Amino acid sequence: MIPGDKSKADANPTKAFFVRMITRDITLEDCIFDLIDNSIDGAWELAGGHPLSLDDKTDLSPFRISIHIKEDHFEISDNCGGITLDDAADYAFTFGRKETAETENFSIGVYGIGMKRAVFKLGSEIEIRSTYKDGDALASFRVPINVENWLASGDENWDFDIEEANNLEQPGVHISVAHLTDAAKRSFESPRFIRNLRRTIARDYALHLHRGLVIEVQGKPVSGWIIELRQGGEFSPMRAQFVEELEGEQVFVEILAGMTAPPPNDSEPSEDFDEGQNNSGWYVICNGRIVLAADKTSLTGWGTEGWPQWHPQYTGFMGIIIFSSRRADLLPLTTTKRSVDETSAIYRQFRSKMRETTKEWISYTNTRKQIRDEATQREEVAKAVPIFQIALRQEVELPRIASKPKVPEANILYTVPKPRLRSLASAFGNINMAYKDVGLRSFEYAFEDLVGDE
Amino acid sequence: MASFDSINYSIRPSKSVQRGIVFEGLRRASNVMELSNAIYVGFGSIWFTDFVQAHKVLNIDDMVSIEANEIGFRRATFNKAYRTISVVEGRASAKLPDILEIEGYNARPWIIWLDYDSALDEEVVEDMQWVVSNAPPNSVVLFTLSATQNAYGAKPIQRPDRIRALLGDIVPDDLSREDCTKETLPITLARLMIDFLKSEVADAARPGGFVEAFKLPYLDSVAMVTVGGILPARGAAAAARALVADASWKGAVEEVIEAPPMTLREIATLQSELPAVAALTRARIQELGFDLHERQVQSFQRYYKYLPSFAEIIA
Repeated sequence: MIPGDKSKADANPTKAFFVRMITRDITLEDCIFDLIDNSIDGAWELAGGHPLSLDDKTDLSPFRISIHIKEDHFEISDNCGGITLDDAADYAFTFGRKETAETENFSIGVYGIGMKRAVFKLGSEIEIRSTYKDGDALASFRVPINVENWLASGDENWDFDIEEANNLEQPGVHISVAHLTDAAKRSFESPRFIRNLRRTIARDYALHLHRGLVIEVQGKPVSGWIIELRQGGEFSPMRAQFVEELEGEQVFVEILAGMTAPPPNDSEPSEDFDEGQNNSGWYVICNGRIVLAADKTSLTGWGTEGWPQWHPQYTGFMGIIIFSSRRADLLPLTTTKRSVDETSAIYRQFRSKMRETTKEWISYTNTRKQIRDEATQREEVAKAVPIFQIALRQEVELPRIASKPKVPEANILYTVPKPRLRSLASAFGNINMAYKDVGLRSFEYAFEDLVGDE
Repeated sequence: MASFDSINYSIRPSKSVQRGIVFEGLRRASNVMELSNAIYVGFGSIWFTDFVQAHKVLNIDDMVSIEANEIGFRRATFNKAYRTISVVEGRASAKLPDILEIEGYNARPWIIWLDYDSALDEEVVEDMQWVVSNAPPNSVVLFTLSATQNAYGAKPIQRPDRIRALLGDIVPDDLSREDCTKETLPITLARLMIDFLKSEVADAARPGGFVEAFKLPYLDSVAMVTVGGILPARGAAAAARALVADASWKGAVEEVIEAPPMTLREIATLQSELPAVAALTRARIQELGFDLHERQVQSFQRYYKYLPSFAEIIA
């Protein structure tokens, strides 16, 4: 017989476990992006809330998100409308989205975890201030969180206190975090972290920045990456639009694909090859936010059924798939918003279209090897065009190349000390000359000297 | 060509000023961080100028000089200034790990000054990475490199790419060729190398972080830059930060140090005007009977305490 007071096993989570767990598998950078996402959702709601397609003309220029990072302090503020007191009391600070929460139109937030996870990851002395429009007047509140005290106050009460606060200059949210975690402190001491943060913001929020949104880091606005595909001559990118119904909601899908840069004439990986600089691959965008960039893995199909593994030979290809829906939970987002949920039905449905266009490119890079010089000339005719200006077209168009006989070729491979290579590159007139070109120039130089006319 | 074959570098005036500032900084650092137990590691060449300072000013006995050149190694061994200097033959990249292996050396702070005469290249970048990840707690690290513009590309347009290839992501995307001219490159390189060192230390998760302490671009016909910092133990970080944050800290300058080569008579004449109530002017120099460029006058006034006097001795 089980005594009455032992008839239930306690399965309530402890706060400490919760804080540890939710902050574990997310990078600091992604936490900061979660905060940016919240601000953008506010701006998007104020701007009318509709799918952020490439044709959309919504003006986001009144909105500004400012990030200030110091070695011992983090701050983000926006003028994107703020959180209302009702929302703060009932939803905004709840761990996880309540079933009763309203779906925000075309937002990027889904799971109701972003802000809490972000501030916990950053530090332990937190203040969230909000100013919002209450009728015609402005109203404000603040939520101070001292993580140590909150943890120490026991696992019964999970609530945060809401206090009176002065108004911010404009309706918006201001979050400051002090007593940074060791990981945050280390990253914020690194100029490289801050520069890379700017670069990733420029890329992942390219669509919002294109619509005029201002995101500042350390007082300096980030200029958005201009996403371009090459068009002209025998090259035309694909741009196709689709509307799907899912659980009675519409999901808008758009696919663009084509050449973003001429493919390399030498596909041997060299030490010069810089993966980070390389924009090739697939991009997945959900409600305006790039959640997967320049992907070359099985997530976007490479190396899966009927699809080869990524190879440097395919460099120059760019594919973009854009999903938008009023309900963000229908989109193939993961909780970190830094990857796609491969099991998502809508995503799987469009994988075959992604595969078809990728295969066109793969086959082009195979055939172009036979006529490298001619192919290079044809590629030069195609000019970079921002994706917003690309005309609709169901399939990608690439040059058709008929195979022809060729002179047998020899590959030469040799190793020299780097300083000597750089000295020779300098003497050839360009200290940055690629290794391969230094080799070719040296061969031509020796050939002309020792062989002369062929 | 090895530097000892080209110039007796103990007589370059701006270099002397730079060395004076560095050792004054090191002396102050040793007051707050207990560096008398430190090991000095450097490129002593055949002159050992910095080693003599390390011994006299900082009371350091155990010193290691790295010499890559075969003849240089023999001459360095012959010329070493003190019994406690050991000279090792080889490149820094190969020898530094060996020095760390010497018994007890990984538990004592290092003052390590890699004073290259060459420009930044891949090997130097690797040396910098090795040093900031492996130097024991409370070490002070310094690097000196040539900032001659042509060493980074004969054409200005090539230089930002070359610097990006060397220092990677810390180089801003908008680094322009104007940042890489003869006049601007020393300052640009100094700033970027500091950012690089900071980022490397952050990535290596050193508990005390990197405390930026030295940023000294200088010019004696060839532009050079010296950068460096303190790698404090966690407990010493606050003291190290306070030291360099103090207004009296002179280790970082924003303009290139350009001390004019001057005769003993000129130096004596000018020094008798100093310390001046108002700034010395070119007009005043002319009144005194000779002449200098305005920027040389400023440099003299700022750095005269560190200026050496040179005379030829006919023995």
